[in-house]
Amino acid sequence: MLLELSEEHKEHLAFLPQVDSAVVAEFGRIAVEFLRRGTNPKIYEGAARKLNVSSDTVQHGVEGLTYLLTESSKLMISELDFQDSVFVLGFSEELNKLLLQLYLDNRKEIRTILSELAPSLPSYHNLEWRLDVQLASRSLRQQIKPAVTIKLHLNQNGDHNTRVLQTDPATLLHLVQQLEQALEEMKTNHCRRVVRNIKIFSSGFALAPWLRGTVQLCSS
Amino acid sequence: RAVQKAFQCWADPGSFDSTPSRSPSRTGFPRAHRLNAPGRRDHPDLKHIDPVVLKHCHAAAATYILEAGKHRADKSTLSTYLEDCKFDRERIELFCTEYQNNKNSLEILLGSIGRSLPHITDVSWCLEYQIKTNQLHKMHRPAYLVTLSIQNTDSPSYPEISFSCSMEQLQDLVGKLKDASKSLERATQL
Repeated sequence: MLLELSEEHKEHLAFLPQVDSAVVAEFGRIAVEFLRRGTNPKIYEGAARKLNVSSDTVQHGVEGLTYLLTESSKLMISELDFQDSVFVLGFSEELNKLLLQLYLDNRKEIRTILSELAPSLPSYHNLEWRLDVQLASRSLRQQIKPAVTIKLHLNQNGDHNTRVLQTDPATLLHLVQQLEQALEEMKTNHCRRVVRNIKIFSSGFALAPWLRGTVQLCSS
Repeated sequence: RAVQKAFQCWADPGSFDSTPSRSPSRTGFPRAHRLNAPGRRDHPDLKHIDPVVLKHCHAAAATYILEAGKHRADKSTLSTYLEDCKFDRERIELFCTEYQNNKNSLEILLGSIGRSLPHITDVSWCLEYQIKTNQLHKMHRPAYLVTLSIQNTDSPSYPEISFSCSMEQLQDLVGKLKDASKSLERATQL
């Protein structure tokens, strides 16, 4: 599957052949760093001065490269498809090789970063527990009331938050039983079949960008 | 002191008939249970009694019963107190029997009063297979969506906590809960 590059994109990337391959490699590094941490316009100015061009040109070059890398990573295109997509830009063999290497080296990390952009619910991080026995309260003395206190650590959009909850022994056993059943489901024939077939099904298609596509396999 | 005074009044055979069905102790117990419900002051056998006296007796009975329940008073404690209030043998027996009959429900009621942490009552889960998002295609990974039902003593609402997790994370979660339940089992065997 080939990447479709717009005219504007091609224009921005046209800057790349005009500089050394060392500079392109550096732009690649900056692009990935920006994906990790966010952009920093000062870097553009520094580079522009060194290369004797406007900072806009540098910015467009880096952004063009970023977009090239993220789109390729998002679609997980093959090496061949990447090479063919870049071929239309008319770059030198050396530059094409460099761009391919940039793609292959950074693909996995870029995909990890992109996966964090998905609409997400709080996700599980950790669980701490403690056994307590309530011995008395203001309204009743001499009690023996066992309880399990749980601290649930969740992550959402980079924020870490914790919820302190409690449950009784009977409910705890029920929770364990229910969640063990949930884990067992993944091993059933139904789920295995779906997973196998979806991989085959989706690999041959030219895909339009959909919003979150999921298949619900089963629920409690 | 007000309780004691009311009890002494209650003890007086002149004001209150000693027949069991008319005893305020019988009505006093259900009253303690339905703390917010109106008292059964319109019981026919109690009609001849001055309503103010009746009200005091009911209030005293409810207060005493709750205090006794709170401190898990035994029969001898009850008897002693009632003797001090000049209750006769028969009435003491009656009161103690009623107390004994209602003791468990009383303790359950008292035990459920009070603040506690949000309490997990149930869990539901859903297993999905993520194919793609608009940011990332060819994801191909299973994910679980877990929802914990929570009961909160502070508010009457029933909020839920939902979160997603991968298979490994769910295994971690289940492992930790199993550790907790094993510890619980060991603790109960000590």
